[in-house]
Amino acid sequence: MNYMDYLKTQDFPLFWCGGCGNGAVLGAIVRSFAALCYSKEETVVVTGIGCWGKADDYVTTNSFHGTHGRALAFATGIKLANPKLQVVVLMGDGDGVTIGGNHFIHAARRNVDVTAILVNNYNYGMTGGQYSGSTPLNSITSTSRYGHIEEGFDICQLAIAAGAPFVARTSSDDPLAMQRFITAGLNKKGFSLIEVIAPCPTHFGKNNGMRNAADLMKWVKERSISVARAHTMNEEELALKLIMGILTDTEREDYGSKYSRVIAAAQEGRRDIK
Amino acid sequence: MTLKKNIFAMGNEAITEGALAAGARFYAGYPITPSSEIAERSSIRLPQLGGMFVQMEDEIGSIAAVIGASAAGVKSYTATSGPGFSLMQENLGVAVMGEIPCVIVNVQRSGPSTGLATKPAQGDVMQAKWGTHGDHGIIALSPSSVQECYDLTIRAFNLAELYRTPVILLADEIIGHMREGYCPHLPKEIIERKKPLCANRDYKPYDFCGEENEIAPLAAFGSEYITRINGSGHDESGNACGRLDNADKFIRHYHEKFQKNRDDIIETKSFDLQDAEYAIITFGCSVRSGKAALKLARQKGIKVGLLQLVTIWPFPYEQVAKICEQVQGVVVPEMNLGQIQGEIRKVCPTHCSLWGINRVDSQMITPYEILAKLEEAAI
Amino acid sequence: MKETWQVIFSGVGGQGLMLAGKLLGDAATGYEGKYAVMTSAYGVESRGTFAKSDCLISSSEIDYPEVLKPDVVIALAAVAYKKYAPLLAKGTVLLYDDSIEPLPSYAEQICLPLAKIAKEAGNPLGINLVSLGVLVQQTGIVQELSVINAIKDEFAGREKQIMLNLQSFQAGIRAKQI
Repeated sequence: MNYMDYLKTQDFPLFWCGGCGNGAVLGAIVRSFAALCYSKEETVVVTGIGCWGKADDYVTTNSFHGTHGRALAFATGIKLANPKLQVVVLMGDGDGVTIGGNHFIHAARRNVDVTAILVNNYNYGMTGGQYSGSTPLNSITSTSRYGHIEEGFDICQLAIAAGAPFVARTSSDDPLAMQRFITAGLNKKGFSLIEVIAPCPTHFGKNNGMRNAADLMKWVKERSISVARAHTMNEEELALKLIMGILTDTEREDYGSKYSRVIAAAQEGRRDIK
Repeated sequence: MTLKKNIFAMGNEAITEGALAAGARFYAGYPITPSSEIAERSSIRLPQLGGMFVQMEDEIGSIAAVIGASAAGVKSYTATSGPGFSLMQENLGVAVMGEIPCVIVNVQRSGPSTGLATKPAQGDVMQAKWGTHGDHGIIALSPSSVQECYDLTIRAFNLAELYRTPVILLADEIIGHMREGYCPHLPKEIIERKKPLCANRDYKPYDFCGEENEIAPLAAFGSEYITRINGSGHDESGNACGRLDNADKFIRHYHEKFQKNRDDIIETKSFDLQDAEYAIITFGCSVRSGKAALKLARQKGIKVGLLQLVTIWPFPYEQVAKICEQVQGVVVPEMNLGQIQGEIRKVCPTHCSLWGINRVDSQMITPYEILAKLEEAAI
Repeated sequence: MKETWQVIFSGVGGQGLMLAGKLLGDAATGYEGKYAVMTSAYGVESRGTFAKSDCLISSSEIDYPEVLKPDVVIALAAVAYKKYAPLLAKGTVLLYDDSIEPLPSYAEQICLPLAKIAKEAGNPLGINLVSLGVLVQQTGIVQELSVINAIKDEFAGREKQIMLNLQSFQAGIRAKQI
């Protein structure tokens, strides 16, 4: 399959602003689908609400566009009801770790076999740039005009702490890393999270002294360090850094596989699932 | 062990067995009194039948998982009570707008808020209709016995599949926790959702025009068709659509698909209404009080009948209007402050008196309270 | 034969009041083709506070599911006895355990050492089943055999539980009124 087969090009141009990383993330996703020869009929793209939640408009696979923050909960039902489906969940930082934070940690803990691709733009882009659960301390947003007084989540650490077996972080200006991590996440049996850093140029960027895409790239680059380098740094040095790469990759039996043993036990009249 | 014809069981148990008999194979829920027996029994019974149970992190996630599983082709249900039903309202709208069949059991308890957590009420009548925002229709059925818990759960799934809609089984603590003999017979009819027959490329999951009952076929995720489910304003294909004429068409559809099929959806039961000069109109657990009052009143020579509203939404206005036309007065016992009575008022002619008997202290309305009102009226 | 029996099992949570009612209802509906309804009341706590189950057994359909005029009230704890003794009218039988301090009542009172009988029958927790045995023996509300069948169904596959509950029930059947 060609990656273009997964794109609804008739609905182009993309809805997103100039300088936004969402288009590049979408490109990495469809290239990953193509590389893995995904059938459109057996793939479901589940989205939440927000700028990134519009991504399902542009894919030719099955899609489910639900409510703000609940994409992982819809995806849980879809995957458990039909384990043959490839279920890919697209969320923003507001969606994934703010209003939907509860579903996020529980999907990771429950280890449902879905792949979550969370684009972190550090604010609520669609509604005008208000702060989200990932907005950094001191940032200016349309609801923190005096500077943001809350700390933002480290989304990857949150997923790891909740038990996600595969967690990786990259940025939207690294297409090769995006495709590599997304492919690895899709191949992972169990819950996988790929966080893509893509600061919102229209609101977060503009409000915080970044005039164009180049400024935003610079902002990300200054903060980015590799996993290997992070090992050599202390907590203080790591404070404002974004550790890029595969942060965890472990084996943990997923919910669906475990549940098939519950079914076997129930059908054989046993009370233990071994 | 002898083969028993009737099983002495709780309403909540019969609801679970009804769901399984209807072909449901997926449950997602969050524990809440007085509905938890449905979750507990489902967690044992579903895997025995190859189905799946998952206890979600909250009721928001529960109904989302139920909708997702149904979109993937598996008949799905959840059970909850007041506070949980409140949390479900936003995603209930996804099932309405996405036209995804599913069954939500609300075993009503005292409210508002946490209320009296273990005590009964019938206060969620209007919430069932209007709890999720925006104009739409919905189906709600209300059982008054353990047998009806079983039968109406099966019917709830059938209606959900036929009309591509969430269906609310509006039970209450009395009926859910009451034990009674019931027969878990094989369902007379099991309705499966209509699947598309068109060529793959022509399939549009929301193209209802010209379809039987105006309901478009629904292909499950993983079928040979591409299915796009959308809780935002969408066109026939499920693509996001901001056109105003399109919004008008679909929002009217979410309302009219129930209006056009009222005769099929609405079920009422009549008791001794033929010669009745007075009528008791009620639903759920209050039917039990009403039936007992009817017998007491008849013994005293008062000509009373009873209309049980099995379908609450769409509201049986025609059936109620016919009774109001016939009798001199209608008594409406309900464990709320007049939610059903208000609907009856819309169609009650001036010659017919309308009295409510309302309790919100979580005590069942006694037959004597209803009898007293009838005696007062008949003098 | 009486058309409808109205019975209340009362005491505190954890005494198996629901089980007693359930077995009675199951015996009636499952084995005698009768109608039965059972409702219960309890607090949010599972143990230790007032609880009751209302059972109606009838040869015809039962409309109202709560007991309005009890024929028999069984009180297994002082909190329940104190609640019912002053409320009951003539025509009701009030059966209670001899550990409870008696109060004046219009009801016909029967005091039996239910807890002691349960203990002697090898199951101190079986006071609910002992009282069910007394009820069945005194009233003939259902056949003894129907309850035995209901016990066997309830604890199917758990032989020890069946044995213990049968022993308690039958000890109640044998208990002589004092």
